[in-house]
Amino acid sequence: MNLPRLFRTSSFRLTLLYAGLTGVSFLLLFAMIFWSTTHFMQHQIDITVAAEIKELRNGASDSSLDSLRRIVQKSTEQSPGFFYLLQDRGGTVLAGNLPRLDPVLEIREWVGDNRLAQYRKIDIRGLGVDAGEGAYLFIGMNAHQVYEMSESVARSFLWGCAAAMLLVLIGGAAMSLSVLRRIEGMSQTSRDIIGGDLQRRIALNGSGDEFDHLAISLNAMLDRIQILMDGLRQVSTDIAHDLRTPLTRLRQRLELAQERPTDATALHATLATTLTAIDAILQTFSALLRIAQVESGARRASFTTVDLSELLHTIVEVYQPAFEEKSQLLSERIAPNLFVSGDRELLMQLFANLVENATRHSAEGAHVTLFAERQAAALNISVSDNGPGIPADMREKVLQRFVRLDASRSTPGNGLGLSMAAAVAALHDADLQLSDCTPGLRVTVAFPAARSV
Amino acid sequence: MRILLIEDDAETAVYVMQGLHESGHSIATARDGRDGLFQATGQDWDLLIVDRMLPGLDGMTLVRTLRTGGIETPVLFLTTLGGIDDRVNGLNAGADDYLVKPFAFSELAARVAALGRRPRRTATDTTLQVADLEMDLLARSVQRAGRSIELQPREFRLLEFLMRHAGQVVTRTMLLEQVWDFHFDPHTNVVESHISRLRGKIDKTHDTALIHTVRGAGYCLRESA
Repeated sequence: MNLPRLFRTSSFRLTLLYAGLTGVSFLLLFAMIFWSTTHFMQHQIDITVAAEIKELRNGASDSSLDSLRRIVQKSTEQSPGFFYLLQDRGGTVLAGNLPRLDPVLEIREWVGDNRLAQYRKIDIRGLGVDAGEGAYLFIGMNAHQVYEMSESVARSFLWGCAAAMLLVLIGGAAMSLSVLRRIEGMSQTSRDIIGGDLQRRIALNGSGDEFDHLAISLNAMLDRIQILMDGLRQVSTDIAHDLRTPLTRLRQRLELAQERPTDATALHATLATTLTAIDAILQTFSALLRIAQVESGARRASFTTVDLSELLHTIVEVYQPAFEEKSQLLSERIAPNLFVSGDRELLMQLFANLVENATRHSAEGAHVTLFAERQAAALNISVSDNGPGIPADMREKVLQRFVRLDASRSTPGNGLGLSMAAAVAALHDADLQLSDCTPGLRVTVAFPAARSV
Repeated sequence: MRILLIEDDAETAVYVMQGLHESGHSIATARDGRDGLFQATGQDWDLLIVDRMLPGLDGMTLVRTLRTGGIETPVLFLTTLGGIDDRVNGLNAGADDYLVKPFAFSELAARVAALGRRPRRTATDTTLQVADLEMDLLARSVQRAGRSIELQPREFRLLEFLMRHAGQVVTRTMLLEQVWDFHFDPHTNVVESHISRLRGKIDKTHDTALIHTVRGAGYCLRESA
């Protein structure tokens, strides 16, 4: 992972922002502490110096300059921490250990380069006062401590600040790196998928953190896309596979009609059968597309509460005459008030397909029964017949597209009826099972029950 | 009827135009949605046939725009193969009927006829009569030549639909949709069975049949053959 990439991450930028804020608050704190300690110490010096001046004046036997000179002389010898200067009107030093100064009546100090030539290494702060008769008295103290202190405060703050910054930056970089690594993993997986490895999924680290949640959602999305793509691929294969036969037959028939000189009636008959064949192919197309649409799950958005009992009654009512024509019997045992959340049109087709399947594959005189009942948390709907049934090893297979027991495809039907039924059942989270009805076939659709209305 | 066909596919347009022209309709075409909307609002039409997929302005928006603009010309919506949602969306947008492409011309002709002569139903419409067949919509009773006929509810609905479209061809698909609410094609001869059962009750004991089979198209309820 290259460094510039790390610095561009949003978490690292956040870290920088926090580092900046931390730095500014450090500086503010430093400025306040620096100012207050310096100020406090200078104040201490000023008080002490003022007290010394007062003491000197009090110590003098009279207000004459000479007695002041004497006491200054004495103090200079006795008090090593202080600096004294007493000079007369003319600027001549009368006593003390400082060189001649401009008689400035205020607090003054010599720090750093502006030090008095004599005291190169020592910082001095003190107060100058009028000593009477035009003389000038200055008393100062070693202020080195004050500046030493300030410097030390500044130094420790600087180091502290630098250390804090460093820690923040290292922490931020580490955090960004770990985030970046997870993201990079996802990007890598995406690139692999784009590159064609559709089976790849984003790895979870099992911590259940937000990245795991994101990964779970993304993986679920990828699974869904995969299912849809597989469906699409399946459809194209099916179309290629199962429509080739009728299209080939159609072509042969047309070619034959073109080559042989036939009269208008025969040509007309050929046209009619051709049209019928094309209609059958189109119907197969339509059924395939419908199944694909149902499998895409988009219809779920328009689900409403459907009265299954009423819907099944309608189915029975619609198919009754057709059954009677085949001397078959269609009976119903439908419990009232069975409601599911679903798509009425598709549910209608689901049960119509099952009933049609039963009548089509049973002989004359067969008996088909539609059961519907509530069992615990499920609504069980079943269509059973006493026809030939489906061998156990074929029961799963017949739900696939174009799979028919009659391999020669001589009976009507396109092999999509049960596929459609299975697709609609899946859309409704219903479980479609084929079982033996001894004899015959029973197709059971178990819906999760909606709240009864 | 004056019909406007809004369809971008030239071949389909010619196919529909020729057929409807032969059926005695006067027909104009628009090749894209914008032109279609312009023509539909500019003149008075008896029927609009609108394709779902159009360049410029799609069929759904076109119909919705017309309806919003207060134009109530009947609209027959043409949708593509397998589009389950197109039907509901089209009808919601304000279309009166829909037809899935590709369609048999007889299907289109029957629907055009049904839409064109769509009776503006009124609340006072309580009885229907074709020849000596009478239907009382309030009492839900049917009589032929004065003799009462017992019908099951679904048979009643079937006969009512036929009588409302008396003299017109109604196709198998129209019956499936309107009478049984089946929006898919059952492979079993459901419609045929119901019609033959209804015939047994309506026509069997009478000299003149009212329910006629129109070959290759559907059925027609009318007085004479």
